[in-house]
Amino acid sequence: MTETPNYDDKFDAIVVGAGLAGSAAALTMAQKDLEVLVIERGNFPGAKNVFGGTMYTRRVRELTGEDFDDAPVERFVGEKQFSLLSETDETAISMRPGEWHEDHHNDTYTVLRGDFDEWFAEQAEEAGATVITQTTVTDLVRDEDGTIVGVETDRPDGSIRAPVVVLAEGGNSLISEAADLKETDARDEVAIGVKEVRKYGRETIQERFGLGEDDGAAYHYFGKGACGNAVGGGFIYTNKRTLAIGLAYTISDAIQDDRKPDEVLSDFKEHPAVAPLVKGGRVVEYSAKAIPEGGASAVPDLAHDGAVIVGDAASLVLNNGIHLEGTNMAVESGYLAGEAVAEAVEAGRTDADALQGYPDRLEDSYVLKNLENYDWFGDFAHGEKDFLFNVLPEVTAEAEKEFFRQDYEPKETHASRAKSMVIRAMGGWTGAAKKAWKYRKLLQ
Amino acid sequence: MSQEWNIVVGVKQVPDADDVSIDPDTGTLNRSDAEAVLNKPDYNAIEAALKLKEEVGGTVTAVTMGPPFAKAVLETAVGLGADDGVLLTDRAFGGSDTWPTSLALAAIAEELDADVVIAGEESTDSSTGQVPPGIAAHNDWSQLTYVEDLEPRPEDDELVAIRDIEGGHEKVAASLPVVVAVGFGMNEPRVAGLHRKIFSETEFEPKEYSASDLGIEESVGLAASPTSVGGMDTADPVERKRKMVDSVDDLVEALESEGAI
Amino acid sequence: MPGEVDTDEYEDVWVFIEQHDGEAAKVSWELLAKGRELADEKGERLIALVMGEEVSHLADEAITRGADEVLVVEDPIFEPYLPGPYGEQFRILVEERKPDIVLIGGSHTGRDFAGRVAVPTYAGLTADCTELEIEPDTHLLLAKRPTFGGDAMATIKCVDHRPQMATVRPGVFDAAEPDPDREGEVVEIECGVDESSVHSRMIERVVGDITDITDAEVIVAGGFGTDGNFGPIEDLAEVLGGEVAATREAVEEGWIEAARQVGQTGKTVKPDLYIAAGISGAIQHLEGMNDSQTIVAINDDPNAPIFDDADYGIVGDMFEILPALTEAVRARKEGEA
Repeated sequence: MTETPNYDDKFDAIVVGAGLAGSAAALTMAQKDLEVLVIERGNFPGAKNVFGGTMYTRRVRELTGEDFDDAPVERFVGEKQFSLLSETDETAISMRPGEWHEDHHNDTYTVLRGDFDEWFAEQAEEAGATVITQTTVTDLVRDEDGTIVGVETDRPDGSIRAPVVVLAEGGNSLISEAADLKETDARDEVAIGVKEVRKYGRETIQERFGLGEDDGAAYHYFGKGACGNAVGGGFIYTNKRTLAIGLAYTISDAIQDDRKPDEVLSDFKEHPAVAPLVKGGRVVEYSAKAIPEGGASAVPDLAHDGAVIVGDAASLVLNNGIHLEGTNMAVESGYLAGEAVAEAVEAGRTDADALQGYPDRLEDSYVLKNLENYDWFGDFAHGEKDFLFNVLPEVTAEAEKEFFRQDYEPKETHASRAKSMVIRAMGGWTGAAKKAWKYRKLLQ
Repeated sequence: MSQEWNIVVGVKQVPDADDVSIDPDTGTLNRSDAEAVLNKPDYNAIEAALKLKEEVGGTVTAVTMGPPFAKAVLETAVGLGADDGVLLTDRAFGGSDTWPTSLALAAIAEELDADVVIAGEESTDSSTGQVPPGIAAHNDWSQLTYVEDLEPRPEDDELVAIRDIEGGHEKVAASLPVVVAVGFGMNEPRVAGLHRKIFSETEFEPKEYSASDLGIEESVGLAASPTSVGGMDTADPVERKRKMVDSVDDLVEALESEGAI
Repeated sequence: MPGEVDTDEYEDVWVFIEQHDGEAAKVSWELLAKGRELADEKGERLIALVMGEEVSHLADEAITRGADEVLVVEDPIFEPYLPGPYGEQFRILVEERKPDIVLIGGSHTGRDFAGRVAVPTYAGLTADCTELEIEPDTHLLLAKRPTFGGDAMATIKCVDHRPQMATVRPGVFDAAEPDPDREGEVVEIECGVDESSVHSRMIERVVGDITDITDAEVIVAGGFGTDGNFGPIEDLAEVLGGEVAATREAVEEGWIEAARQVGQTGKTVKPDLYIAAGISGAIQHLEGMNDSQTIVAINDDPNAPIFDDADYGIVGDMFEILPALTEAVRARKEGEA
C-alpha cells in the first residue's frame, strides 16, 4: 500500500489520555508550536471519564479564550448548599451570592464529561495537536539507561517514540504503576464514587430547585444519612435537563458497610430530605469511579527522565469535605506541565532535571498549596469519623428540634437543654475545649 | 493484460447502530446521540479487498458518497490499509435513494477503472442491500452477492466466490469487472496499525468528486429518486407479559393455562 | 423527473415465482397470497412469472394458488439461476407489459437480481418489506420495512415511477392454499436472453436438507449462553414437537447450521411458543421472532434484555432448567396418554 510514514520522534510529546489534564497539556504545548500526539483509549475523549460534578473552569476559559463561549457547560452554579444528614433529619446552610449570577459566574459550572472533554480535546486539535482514539497505551518504552523514550500501544506496529511522555491516564494509573513511577494507592487513600444521572426535563428541575434557564445548584450532603459510617458525602448537581445524584466515600469504609455502593446510593435517595428532589425521572447513566484522595502525601514524583505525571494519575485531587476539586487541578497541572515541557524541548533537554520546571510550578500554584494545607484532613476525618458523621448530624438535629420546640415551656429552658445536648455530645466542657483545639485547623 | 487489480471498496458513514434508540418520552427515533461511524459490515468489505490485493497485487481505493465529514470513513479505510480514498460530495446528491446512489458509485467505479468493486452486505441504517446489484446493473457488470469466500483467478480474469444461499451455497465464477457484496462477518477485520492510523488521520486527504465531475448532475438527488420515504414510525412493540417465575413447575403451569403446551 | 412515466399505463400485480431445479421456493406462494389481496383491492389482475428449464408444473400450481395469468419462460439458460439472464428477461417483460406492482421474494436470489430489473427500468425498489398495503386515496403501494435494526418502520412510496417493486421478507405472509378448481391462463414466452447477458457461471450449487423452521409451531432456541451444548435444547424441542433454532452468535461459532438462525439476518418465525435459552435478547434477534404468540426466556443474567420482551421469564442455569422442563412436559404428556 502507499508508504506508511514512521512517526517516531516526529512528535515532541506524547500525551497518554485525552481527559482534562491530557487535553490541557496538549493544548498548551500545541499553542507553543510543539508537535503533540494524544493517545486516548476510549471511542472519543471523555467516553471513559466520570466525575460528580462541578467544574471550576477559570484555566480552561483562559486557555481557550473566545472559544469558551461555545464550551458545552450545563448550568453555572448560582447556589451552593451544605447539609448535615442524620438518618431522618437534615440541617442545611445555603448560599446564593448575587455575584455568582454574573459573568464569569465564579467560573463554576455543572458539566457532562462526555460532551465537555470532547470539546476540550477538539480545542487541542484545533491548536494543532493530533488526537488518536480507540488506542490503549500498554507500556512505556525506555532506553538502556532507563530514560522514557516513548510508549507501547495495543495496535499492530504499536510503539512510538517521542522525547517526552505526559502521563495523564487518570486515577486508574496502571502504566505509571507498572513503570514504578508511583505506588498503588492504599485503600484509605482512594474513594469510590457512584452516581446516577437522571433525566427530568428542564421544567421539573427549574421548578424543584428554584432555578432560571441558565443557573444551577450544587448540593452537598454529609453524615450518616448520606453514606452511613463512611468518610465521604453525597451530592446533587443540576444539569440542564438532568440531575447528577451520587456519593463518594473512602473504599476502606465501603468495605466495612454491609451494603453495596448502589444500595448506599439507593438509601441516600430515599432520605426524607433528598427524596422529593430526586423522585421520578429516568436513569440515563449509571457510573462508578475510583477517586484518589491521598492528599499531598500521595502525590508521586512528578518529573522523570522523559516523562511527567499530571491529573488524577498524580493524585491531584482535593477533598476536605467542603472543597471537592479534581478537574480544575487536572487542568492546571496539564497546563503547567505543558509550559514546562515546551521550555525543556526548546532547550533541547528532556531529562528529569530539565522537566523539574513542572513540579516547581505546581509547588507555587494553588494545586500543591491546597493539597499541602489540607494534608492532615484524611487522617483527621478518619479519626473523627464517628463524631463528624454520626454524632454531629444527630445532635445538631436534636438540638434544633429542642431549641425550636413549640410547647408551654419557656424558651430559656429549651435553649439551655439544647446547649447541654451539644456540650454532652462533645464530651462536656473539657471535651468541647479539646475538640475546639483539634478542629482549629478547619478554620485556618 | 496486467494481472494486478484495481479494487474499489464502497463504504458508508452511518449513525452508530448501538446508539440509535427510541426516545421513550416521545416515541420517536433518536439518531442525534449516535456518533457517525463506518457501517459495521463495511469492515468485512475492506478486509476482503485488502486480502485480494495481498493475493493479486494492485491497489485498493475506498469510495464513499456523503457530506464533507464522511471523509472520516475514508480515513478509517486508509488507516486499515487502503491505498487511497475518494469522496463523492455534492449538495446535488442529497436525498438520493439507491437508484442514483448506485449510479454515482457506478460512475466512479468506471472512472477509477475498477476490476473489482467490493461492498458490505447492507448498511445498518437503511439495510436495503440494493446498492451493489445497482452498481452492477448501471454498468452492466457481473455481480456476486452474499459472498462468504473469494478466490481470485487473475489469469482467467475471473473472481470465484462462494455465495451463501438458503440451505447451502453456490460456487460462482464471475468475469471482470465484478461487483461483490460480502456477507456480514465473513472474515475477521484487521486492526489498523498505529503509524498507519496516524497517517490516515493527519496527512491523508481524499480526492473529491462532485456530481458534475462525474457528468451525472441531472441524474442524482431527491428528484432522481423513484422511491421516497412516506413516513417513519417507531415499530409497535408487542406488549409482553414480562412475568417472572421462580420454578420450572410455575412455568409449566403458566404455559398450560395459556394453552401453549 | 428523470424516468418519470405515465402511471396510468401500468397495470397488474406481478409475483415472481422463485424456483430451483423445478422446485418452488416457499416465499413465492406467500407472495402470491399477498399479491392476490393487493390485486383484489386494486381491481387488477394477479400475474405470476416463472423462469426455468422445465417449470410448467409450477405455472399450474401458481394458478391454483391465486394467479389469474402465468408468464412462463423455459430455457436452459435459466437453470441454474444467475442474475444476468434472470434480470434481463424480467426487464424485457416489464418493459413490454408494464406491470403496476412487482413482488419478488427477499431471498438471496430475489435480492440478488431485483436490482438488475429496477435499475434499467428506473423502477422504485423497496427491499425486505414486512408489510404491504394500498394507500386509500392514491392507490399507491405502501411498502413498509424495518430500519435502524428494527427500531423504526419506514413506509416507502414510489409515486412517479413504475413498476412499484418490492422484495418481501420470507416467512412474514402466509402461503395461499391451493384451490384445484381455480382457472387461469398460462402464457408461454419465448426466451429473449442470450449469452451476452451471462456474466458469470455456476461452478456448483450445493443445497442440503433444507431445514425450514419458519412453519414450526413451537421453537426452542439457543444462544451464546449454550456454549455450544444444544443437547438440552434438542431434547426439549423433541418432547414439545418443535424445531431447534439459534441466534446469529451460535451460528457464527459453528455450533449449529445457518438454516436454523432466527433474526434480522436469519429467518423470521412466528410460532405459538418460542423458548429462548441462553439468549441475551439483542434487537437483531428479536426482530426475527417477536411476532411469536408466547415467548419464554431462560437466562442466568437477571438483567438480560430478553426478559423485557418475554411473556414468561425464569432466571437460572439453563442446563438445570431445560432438562427439568423437558421432564415436566414429558410427565404431563404421559399422564394424558
